[in-house]
Amino acid sequence: MEPILPESAPCFMEDVILSRFKEIEISGAGIGLRSQHYQQILDNKPNVHWFEALSENYFGEGGLPLYHLEKVREHYPITLHGVGMSLGSATSLNTNYLAKLKRLVDRFEPAYVSDHLAWVSVNGKYLHDLLPLPYTEEALTIVAEHVIQVQDFLGRTLLIENPASYLSFNNSEMTEWEFIGELSKKTDCHLLIDVNNIHVSAINHGFSAIEYIDAIPSERVREIHLAGYEDHDTYLFDTHGHRVHPPVWDLYEAALERFGPVPTLIEWDTDIPEFSVLMEEAAHSDALLEKILS
Amino acid sequence: MITLQQLQELFYTSVFEHGSENHTTSKLGHYINETEGLSSIDHFNIYKGSITASLNRALREIYPVCNRLTGDNFFNAMGKEYMRNTTSRSADLANYGEDFQNFIASFKHTENLTYLPDVANLEWAWHRAFHAADESSIDLAALGKVPEADKPHIVFYLPVSASLIASEFPIQHIWQVNQSDFEGDDRVDLNEGGIKLLVWRKDYTMRIDPLDDVEWCMLKEIGTGHTFDTVCTHLCKHDPVLDIEKMLPILVQRGWISSFSIDD
Repeated sequence: MEPILPESAPCFMEDVILSRFKEIEISGAGIGLRSQHYQQILDNKPNVHWFEALSENYFGEGGLPLYHLEKVREHYPITLHGVGMSLGSATSLNTNYLAKLKRLVDRFEPAYVSDHLAWVSVNGKYLHDLLPLPYTEEALTIVAEHVIQVQDFLGRTLLIENPASYLSFNNSEMTEWEFIGELSKKTDCHLLIDVNNIHVSAINHGFSAIEYIDAIPSERVREIHLAGYEDHDTYLFDTHGHRVHPPVWDLYEAALERFGPVPTLIEWDTDIPEFSVLMEEAAHSDALLEKILS
Repeated sequence: MITLQQLQELFYTSVFEHGSENHTTSKLGHYINETEGLSSIDHFNIYKGSITASLNRALREIYPVCNRLTGDNFFNAMGKEYMRNTTSRSADLANYGEDFQNFIASFKHTENLTYLPDVANLEWAWHRAFHAADESSIDLAALGKVPEADKPHIVFYLPVSASLIASEFPIQHIWQVNQSDFEGDDRVDLNEGGIKLLVWRKDYTMRIDPLDDVEWCMLKEIGTGHTFDTVCTHLCKHDPVLDIEKMLPILVQRGWISSFSIDD
């Protein structure tokens, strides 16, 4: 299958020359930025390498969310991570959404912009959840067109994240990792590998998490996500509401062996704990990143 | 072979299908793999539950007082019914629930909670103001330099965050006693009378300002976007003794008028 873009297509991020911020690039462990921690972060300036902001939380015209993000950005590099782009929609992308995202990107100069391999809406009707795709040639063509459209519009390379999933379609023609590999070739996109999602999906669908990791084109991986899940007996559910589980830490080490010391995010979205808990998780990630470097 | 769009449309319809009418869900199930311990429908229902929970969470975050007044179980059931009746057209979950007030007003199980739609209206106004664009105060120096001949053509603007709300119920009192940090007597007499409010944001501070009848009339009229000349004519018809010259600086000083332009 021929790539739609040549392998030598430029990485748009490097085109940024002038910046009003001191730091743009990221390394080491970062923490998901949540409103419960704004004040503590701004008061204490904790030793965190970078923060990841959920794009849609800052789509408002003004107010405190944007004020806080502006203040955090003055001191830390950030990435922007979205859940509403709906790259897997069979119908067209929401240009209003893209315009709001571009406004954020231009203002905050994130190191990376990412969203999921999932669909959220169809015919302009939103379900507001990351929904699974059948891994077919038809879906691959549609998602690739959407990724290219977004990259052209934003003028930068997008990071695509593998989803956690709770069902698989029987009309799939390839595995998820094959789909992601082909997508990255067709669009020259980069990848955000969520190690927790691989573990959750591997248990739910009965595939090998290591086989998945081994099949990912490592040169395209720019970021890793770590989070906690819930065990619902018959399946694992990706709640982002717990510490990273031991098997996910093990898989993370395997991922670092293969991908190298990729910047890693600690995600926590429900039952948000004290900031110190996130710092502990980030320190653990940092220790493993340093181990790989040494 | 089912297309991606057909599959997604089937999925969408199945999410809001009542449990007893699972025709679409059964059809969708033909395309979903079973695993040990979980049927294809079980797999789908994980998503159905997750979507419902996240939409209900979004409503709870925007309408915490309505949630507290009705209780979690009732609010969640009401939210589910709202989801079935309302299509979300925005990728931004912060836009979800704009017409919740109208839904509550028509929901048969809340007909005894006559004040609830107005409380929801107040909460949406608060939510809207919270995310509204930042604004500086009115440029008084520029206003002072407007030539006399242009003054009738001035158009004054309320803050972009502002919503004018009137209710025959004491909704501000209801809202206050249902804040998580409220301490004191939380009883509210529904017969204590109605209220008129301006909900807005001054810099980063949220405001709910009660208005008297004169302030309400003036802000309502100014909010129409008419020139000052027309505003004065309308106000004088309504209240011939209203001292607009005296009132206007008060509204400006309180921040309730945030900008102006000269209508060509």
